Amino acid sequence: MSSTKLGLAGAAFAIAAVGFGAPAHAQTICFAYQTLETEFWVAGHAAMTQSLSEQGIDVIEVNANEDANRQLEQIRDCITQEVDGIIIIPQDGESVITMIGEANEAEIPVAIFNRPPNPDNPHDAIVVVADNVAITEAAVEHLTDQARALNLDRPVQPLIMVGALADTNAIGRREGFFNVVNRNRDLYAEPIEVPTEWDAAVALANLESALQANPDVDVIFTSSDFLFPQIRAALLQRGMWAPAGEPNHVILGGLDGDVTACQLIREGYVDATGVQDLFFEADATVGRLLEAIANGETRPNEIIRDEGFALTRANLEERHQDMWGCVLLDEQG
Amino acid sequence: MVSHTSAGKGATAGSQQDQGVLTRLAHRVLMSERFVLYLSVILFLAVLPFIPRIATGGNFSNLLSNLWPLLVIAVGQTYVMILAGIDLSQIAVIAVTSVLGAAVMTLGVDPVLFENTVLWGTVMDESGGILSGHWWSMPAALGVMIAVGALIGAFTGAIIAKFEVPAFMMTLVGLLFFSAFAVWLTRSENITNLPESYSAIADRGTFGILSWSAAIAVAVTVAAHVLLSRTVFGRWVYATGMNKKAAVISGVPVRRVVVLCFMISGICAAIGSILYSARLDMGRPAFGDNLNLLLDVIGATVIGGTSLFGGRGEILWTVYGVILFVLLSNALNLLNLSFFTVLIVKGCVILVAAWLDVKRRELLAR
Repeated sequence: MSSTKLGLAGAAFAIAAVGFGAPAHAQTICFAYQTLETEFWVAGHAAMTQSLSEQGIDVIEVNANEDANRQLEQIRDCITQEVDGIIIIPQDGESVITMIGEANEAEIPVAIFNRPPNPDNPHDAIVVVADNVAITEAAVEHLTDQARALNLDRPVQPLIMVGALADTNAIGRREGFFNVVNRNRDLYAEPIEVPTEWDAAVALANLESALQANPDVDVIFTSSDFLFPQIRAALLQRGMWAPAGEPNHVILGGLDGDVTACQLIREGYVDATGVQDLFFEADATVGRLLEAIANGETRPNEIIRDEGFALTRANLEERHQDMWGCVLLDEQG
Repeated sequence: MVSHTSAGKGATAGSQQDQGVLTRLAHRVLMSERFVLYLSVILFLAVLPFIPRIATGGNFSNLLSNLWPLLVIAVGQTYVMILAGIDLSQIAVIAVTSVLGAAVMTLGVDPVLFENTVLWGTVMDESGGILSGHWWSMPAALGVMIAVGALIGAFTGAIIAKFEVPAFMMTLVGLLFFSAFAVWLTRSENITNLPESYSAIADRGTFGILSWSAAIAVAVTVAAHVLLSRTVFGRWVYATGMNKKAAVISGVPVRRVVVLCFMISGICAAIGSILYSARLDMGRPAFGDNLNLLLDVIGATVIGGTSLFGGRGEILWTVYGVILFVLLSNALNLLNLSFFTVLIVKGCVILVAAWLDVKRRELLAR
């Protein structure tokens, strides 16, 4: 058979096959996430898939491995498969806008988990998001109380590890931190900002440089708990890793509420962390999306807020069961 | 008895003839320039019963939308590979050109995010990029992107040609340097609020064919094909890739050819950047971290049959390689395999392609 005939036969077969596709499954959800590299995202993935499987939903999972363009291609592939709904954990708040637009156009309801689209998003989506500003403020208020108790004869030097500022979460957490610092200008020196880009290696390199230039840092707030191992490494190197009560203790706080943070609060190294209610967020995402599918809503548009709270060494005993990291830590024994 | 023996001999001869036909057919298929295209058709037909949706109009549109930018970038990589080189810096070129193109044409950015960047006050400010607000903003920005891609490619090629630095090393340096440069330009912020005329480039059109992306990719591919296969310059590229010393003796301006090939690679990366950035509607410095894309570009070019040892390759082969690679990715996605499985399968396919490349060279040498 000549190459031309072979090509034509293939094309004819392909064209004939169009229209013989199997019908879409009754309840299939596409779950598109950007990475599974931190405790928060691993736990979020587990909570989400468990919540979906408990409801008997078929799940198509796709991992973009932190590539926004790939995530867009994966969303398009999901749309091709005529899924009933889409859940996205996006790479950032900007790239997700295009994806929401594609889902809207295909009339498939879409829910965004934990990382909201930027405010200029013109499309419709269910957005489940932690109140980053309020949760951060609660955690940093506790750090401020601890800092004030030091009674230093100089301004307290705070440092914030800032996330990627294309991410609304990172912006909200930075805002919450500065709200508290600005309310306590009598206490604090000008904060040092350490960019992390949500990357552990970048965070460690920049934190080491910042500590080299500013050895008198008294308070460190990380915009995500997943960076505590890097903070520990940097402080250990300088002999500043010590639990509360010891003279060289650096007051530490974070946000997320992961297993490491719970462990470090129990050991006294971390003073407070803002806790996102991961289980609530997962249930709310799945629940509202399924409700939209059941009601025939193709473009649901709603923001569901997770109010969260701050877990501190002071309220550890009474609230540790409300923090997902402590729950997982206890399960691990 | 005699007839029996004759029949036996006849059957053996027939069997040997069949085997000979099969061997010749296999040899012809393996050595055929369309071998990878045949593989694509076989793959398509093989997965069709399991994922019938792969043959829907919507999926063809997805396939083509994914194909155009990858094709353009792989075309540039083909020139460099025929030289027996490799260009790892292409994704860094994509990042830098994406950021600079968006910076000059943006209709306005948030000062909070950008006022501490090096671009603030010179290239862009609250009211937009330095070229924004004119009807020619978008084409001028595209010109800036292509010019920057050409400059970076020429710089990389010049270092390789003049100091005889291995292409792998120099382009690795380029990858690291220009990726970091892109992040430094905006402190990792994405630049949004681009003109609608720019976003329109990414519109998929009818079945992904009648679109700006398709027109640009086809134009680049045809031009690259003509340049490589119908001009003296094209013959110089092959001569340099086959045997550099012999090419020098034959009067081929080898250094100029190396610089121009890397320049073409940079221009193609910049055009790929135009298509990718339009899809996401932003200038994105994180493109430089996208090693998955680099894997796709190199994988598709090698699968097409362009030799890693240089001296052999065609733009049409790269087209076939990109078709196979995009189809493979699409099929693996539609099969709902995990991300890790997809990468493992892709890695295996590249390994098989490299093995086939060695076998084909052996056959050619006989």
